[in-house]
Amino acid sequence: MNAPRAIFAIARADFLERVRRYSFLLTLLFAVGLGYAAATGRITLHLGDYRGVYTSAWIGALVAIVTTCFVSLVGFYIVKNAIDRDRQTGVGQILAATPLSKISYALGKFLSNLAVLSSMVVVLAVAAVAMQFFAAEDPHLDTIALLAPFIVIALPAMALIAALALLFETLPLLRGGLGNVAWFFVWAILGIGLPEITGKHWLDPMGLMTVADCMIEGAKANIPGYKDSFSLTIADAPAKIVDTFRWQGVPWTSQMILLRVGWMLAAVVIVLLAALFFDRFHPVSWFLPSVQKTKKVSTPRPAEQLTPGATISASPVPAVHLTPLASAARSDAFGRIFAAELRLALKGLRWWWYCVAAGLLIAQFASPLEISRGPLLGVAWIWPVMVWSAMGSRESRFGTRSLLFSCAKILPRQLVACFLAGLTVAVLVGAGAGVRLLLARSFTGLFAWATGALFLPALALSLGTLSGTGKPFEGLLTAIWYVGPMNHTPGIDFTGAASGSRTISYALIYFVLSAALLVFAFFVRARQLRSL
Amino acid sequence: MQLTVDNLSKNYRGGVQALRNVQLSLKPGVLGLLGPNGAGKSTLMRILATITQASSGRVLWNDQDIARNPDALRGVLGYLPQDFGVYPNLSAIEFLDYLAAVKGIPAAAARRRISELLALVNLADAAKRPLGGYSGGMRQRVGIAQALLNDPQLLIVDEPTAGLDPEERVRIRNLLSELAGERIVILSTHIVSDVEAVATEIAILAHGELLAHGAPEALLSQVAGKIWEVVVSSAELPALREKHLVSSTAHRSDGVHARVVADSAPSATARQLEPSLEDAYLAMLATQRNSAAIAGAAA
Repeated sequence: MNAPRAIFAIARADFLERVRRYSFLLTLLFAVGLGYAAATGRITLHLGDYRGVYTSAWIGALVAIVTTCFVSLVGFYIVKNAIDRDRQTGVGQILAATPLSKISYALGKFLSNLAVLSSMVVVLAVAAVAMQFFAAEDPHLDTIALLAPFIVIALPAMALIAALALLFETLPLLRGGLGNVAWFFVWAILGIGLPEITGKHWLDPMGLMTVADCMIEGAKANIPGYKDSFSLTIADAPAKIVDTFRWQGVPWTSQMILLRVGWMLAAVVIVLLAALFFDRFHPVSWFLPSVQKTKKVSTPRPAEQLTPGATISASPVPAVHLTPLASAARSDAFGRIFAAELRLALKGLRWWWYCVAAGLLIAQFASPLEISRGPLLGVAWIWPVMVWSAMGSRESRFGTRSLLFSCAKILPRQLVACFLAGLTVAVLVGAGAGVRLLLARSFTGLFAWATGALFLPALALSLGTLSGTGKPFEGLLTAIWYVGPMNHTPGIDFTGAASGSRTISYALIYFVLSAALLVFAFFVRARQLRSL
Repeated sequence: MQLTVDNLSKNYRGGVQALRNVQLSLKPGVLGLLGPNGAGKSTLMRILATITQASSGRVLWNDQDIARNPDALRGVLGYLPQDFGVYPNLSAIEFLDYLAAVKGIPAAAARRRISELLALVNLADAAKRPLGGYSGGMRQRVGIAQALLNDPQLLIVDEPTAGLDPEERVRIRNLLSELAGERIVILSTHIVSDVEAVATEIAILAHGELLAHGAPEALLSQVAGKIWEVVVSSAELPALREKHLVSSTAHRSDGVHARVVADSAPSATARQLEPSLEDAYLAMLATQRNSAAIAGAAA
């Protein structure tokens, strides 16, 4: 088999399949949104109270860093479905029966991942040109200075993301929701924090330090009294800047470029590793007992000899009969469908899942109130992430939509039952903190707790219904959880523990937001019911 | 109990017209829906199952428009789609019990019904195994069981015997026949022999248009006296195919026995045969193709 042709064919088909989906448009819109946020000062790079003049060099570096930081986080979730799509569509079974090697397959999928991520980089590069034009601080467009950071910094970072997404898909443990949650930490620690943690600035897969070091040098030379401050911030209004300085750009040395090429090569090594772990669409699911273990070995029976004219002694196909279901045997009892949804949500969870949930619940009862409603409730409310992420998306994921959507009153019964099942899980795993707040007569805290419990399944249901997958919820909840409950950011902390004097107002916001999310989920599902 | 399809059309994006002014009126019995790939059968089934909306026209269930009031039909509807999935962690009993709850069947009645249905589709022994380990045929039988959960008055089954072994096919065909007495069953399939075995009425769709609708006898009468058996050598067969519509062939010791649909005897030695539904179906499609070609040439 001609391997390069096979790799190209895999990459091309996968890329075309992706770009012809509606979700690709959303992907590009996300990139446009990022570009807009950078252009309007919502995302800024500043060194103390200073920023660079909007020259080609500064804008190129700024947008390239925004690209590597944000597209690396979100892009992973966007491209982590290359193998899964072949698994779901059944194309994988066809490919598995061809002479295509695992390495060729993995390289083809990697190139497709890279092409999708690169298309976002291209959108942002175009946005960078527009940004310089509209900012009008420097009329001279230096194409090389503007585009070099995209090529040298962003593209190798995208190659790494493309490869890591593939690796996650080949590892059974990281293939599903656990991998989506884990990615946030991999991104935060290995992707962004690695140079800081190790103190080695060359260990910088996202290229953030490469640019930051050059900007800091530039600031030192231009800003009197400057003290190594460097920050990339997101704000709901343009950041306040005292003054600007003229930055000359990154002096691209051969060492820098070789280092970035090294990250590209690392991406290829990760792809080869992924090929090693790739199961070639082996149909045995890891959650099912092994056939070899369960089947008893029996002595093979010799095949019967066929004799011409032999008497047919086979029994006829048994007659079939069904007892009519009494017309009274139909009910709209909501309790039964709620119980069924709750059972479905919890089905497949292992004993250790319940042990950890029970441990967290006991700890909430046993710990001081601030610990109980703070970090413990925070952990308890990330623990069922996989239970919630299936809400609203389970029907798409497993292809049961046509079975369910042809049932009566599906919207007011099944969707509501699904939400209430998710809410029940939130209430049960966080009951310790809730009871403690009640006993302490902290009614504002209890209100915040209740709105947090409402918010989690409402967010899961709306994202799941809209996207048909659990990935957006898994990624978003992990990010919110890290910023909010774990880093005590008021407003983002959905447990309400960090809200201080504004507990009631934040809780009200969460209440309204939850209601809006539920209405949104209903609206989306109603549309889906009208035209599947 | 009546299902009326009134001037139904469905257009998809890109100008694809999946259904054109389809008109049907159904009473209890089995309607066999036949048609080539892309004829619009699945689109029609999905509209009847209330999960897709028509571009124009109406579907009335006992005089109620199902687009305006889909729940009037959904409560008494059993639907087996052509492609459907299952939850792999659930056993057949758990999956059916879940769908029974969604369909509003109380627990006790559901338990009895599920047990009976699992025996009916020959899955009683595998009922407690996770569905993730089921073969394609076993999943198909779970699909048939779920369609019958609520004892539907309207049963819509799209390729119900796909992936089933011959014995299971016979079992399901018998079941559909037995069910038909008291309800409307719509059976869409490519397997003409399945339709021949159970259908009390037949509808043929091609290119979104209803070519024929009537009793099997009426369809057969259209090709009565036009089915011939001709014995030719293997070398002569291509020429025969060029000249006539050959519905089937069988190699025998004296040559190839070809079943030919023709207005008059294709050769002096041709022997007249009793028409089958497959002959009638193929003849109708061939006629439609010829008419379309003539209309295309004229345009």
